[in-house]
Amino acid sequence: MAQATLVSERLCGDLQQPISAMAWSVDGEFLAITSTGGELLLLDFRAGCEELLRGDHDSSLDVVGFSGNGQFLMAAGQAGELLLWELGGTGVRPLAMDPIPLGSGWIDAAAWQPGGLLLAVAAERELRLWDGAARQWLDPPLELPGTIQALAWSADGVQLAASCHGELVLWQPCLSSPSDPPLRHAIASAGLALAFSGPGHQLACGMLDRSLLVWPQGCQGQPWQFSGFPAKVRQLAWSEQPGRLAPLLASSAAEAVILWTQVKQGAKAWQPEQLLWHEKRVNALAFAPGSTLLASASSDGTVALWDGRGQLMQPFEGQGSGFNALAWRADGRHLAAGDANGRWWLWPVAVPARERQRSSSGSGFG
Amino acid sequence: MAFSSPVPAAERLPVTVLTGYLGAGKTTLLNRILTHEHGLKVAVIVNEFGEVGIDNQLVVDADEEIFEMNNGCICCTVRGDLIRIIGNLMKRRDRFDHLVIETTGLADPAPVIQTFFVDEDLRDELRLDAVVTLVDLKHVEQHWDTEEVQEQLAFADVLVLNKADLVSDAERAAIERRVRAINPVARLLTSHNAEVPMQELLGVEAFELERALSLDPGFLVDEHAHEHDDAVGSVALVEERPMDMERLGSWISELVSSRGPDLFRMKGIIQLAGKDERYVLQSVHMLVDGDFDRPWKAGERRRSEFVIIGRNLDAEALRASFLACVA
Repeated sequence: MAQATLVSERLCGDLQQPISAMAWSVDGEFLAITSTGGELLLLDFRAGCEELLRGDHDSSLDVVGFSGNGQFLMAAGQAGELLLWELGGTGVRPLAMDPIPLGSGWIDAAAWQPGGLLLAVAAERELRLWDGAARQWLDPPLELPGTIQALAWSADGVQLAASCHGELVLWQPCLSSPSDPPLRHAIASAGLALAFSGPGHQLACGMLDRSLLVWPQGCQGQPWQFSGFPAKVRQLAWSEQPGRLAPLLASSAAEAVILWTQVKQGAKAWQPEQLLWHEKRVNALAFAPGSTLLASASSDGTVALWDGRGQLMQPFEGQGSGFNALAWRADGRHLAAGDANGRWWLWPVAVPARERQRSSSGSGFG
Repeated sequence: MAFSSPVPAAERLPVTVLTGYLGAGKTTLLNRILTHEHGLKVAVIVNEFGEVGIDNQLVVDADEEIFEMNNGCICCTVRGDLIRIIGNLMKRRDRFDHLVIETTGLADPAPVIQTFFVDEDLRDELRLDAVVTLVDLKHVEQHWDTEEVQEQLAFADVLVLNKADLVSDAERAAIERRVRAINPVARLLTSHNAEVPMQELLGVEAFELERALSLDPGFLVDEHAHEHDDAVGSVALVEERPMDMERLGSWISELVSSRGPDLFRMKGIIQLAGKDERYVLQSVHMLVDGDFDRPWKAGERRRSEFVIIGRNLDAEALRASFLACVA
């Protein structure tokens, strides 16, 4: 598959409503884009075509994702129902399955298990799992004491974390038996963002009370707590590039992006580097796969690219509207972004060699 | 602790909070708001999906989950799921002009109100327009002693005395007096079937400081007959002599830090010594906001008016400590 197909002349397009979420299929062949008007656009790069799987329904879609094997596409949002499509590969029209009502309010957190077929969905205070292999829900759902604000899978697909006000739960749904209950950590506020690191299996939780919790390797023991953020910590991203002690962690609170490096064990182990560029709230953070290159998208109408030491490499300007969403293609060479005016963008990115010391094998181009 | 947003009010989306005990007519009023030809696109957040009988995509459900916030110098409660739901709604803000939030009949209105002043996103994107409380004239006396009813009366900017057709004028007048003893500053409307003029409900700007105290000028000089011993009540303080800003400031700080949980709302217009402008202030529990608004007009009676609505208020002690702030 030549990259020329991907970087066609068509590098941007428009939906009717602000873009809310974007996701690539693991093989990088498909990009799905949702809007706050409920549109869902599917770009099929190999076939060189696009299809609007759902038009403007006046009911927001806020989360979208492909199953690890590329078989399913899911989306959910304001209507409180799970939308699923079965994909037949490139050039084949996706088959819409019947929407699944969850009897809950607005759904804004859902994620496919990496390398598996489980889909975790936050339905108010219940963490529900849909099994793509059996095409049914696994019972019982995991109950949390409050509305689930965030969820995340570990990179190996074994651990699932979910957070609400007062509690963070770690669950191993594939291994769990009644004698093996989920691990429940009390937290002082509401966990708004969760992210597992790939190699070290650390867990970070961005908090409403303007703090950040980071559990060390294997999520064992007491977390580090970082406070003094200017606002709630709403976005987190880990680099896939292993660091000396831990991979790089990026956090955002309002317009402030901080790059965290673990420099030693024990107390005061993490060194922050503030990344100065954005003037308004940062709405998305993502490291390029396999690299320390970080992208940040802001309401100020720019997407910034940073190197692993926190140097601004390049800002992209859009058309003046704030950016809401980001998604890197698995090859780490193409960055998709969506703005508040409904425009989506696709930029080819040449990652400098020093940011990708480890070759990003398995990028999906066979 | 100031709770104003640096973002000008005109750029923020107005929010009306609708409270009222079970059966007071909130759903009827919501349906009126949604169907009324007021030219506004209204989004509604309800707690019980399906109650509102209008097919409207902008009716969304939120959990009445309470978060305790410890925000440096203040502790307060907010409605956590409101932050999440409104955050989602604001991404599509061009589709509506006004937000109405319905609370359950058993809800304390304070966490909803505080959410709009404490949450960093909501504070800069929204402005609380008014707290509207519906009162069921026929049944309110049966529930009078419940904490929720008294809190809902205390927090109101607009009180809609509903089901007026089901009571006599004398009964209505008696309830009105009782309501007034708790909340002397809210605007009173009387209705049946929740039929009230929309301009009295939406766009009231009750939380804008310059309108914080739109009192009937003669009202505060009336001494209330304290015929009811409700735990929740009000104290109205009036003083002709100018006040000392520093003393007043420390008195209010001390008051909210020691009595914050019991102080529901405070509103005041203050004549400060050596200042030609009126000083206006308001509070919700421990959140206090104050600023100069405009010069006293020629011929305007310069004096300070201060209303405290709260629980277990000692009127004499409050009056004495207020008077100690005279310059």
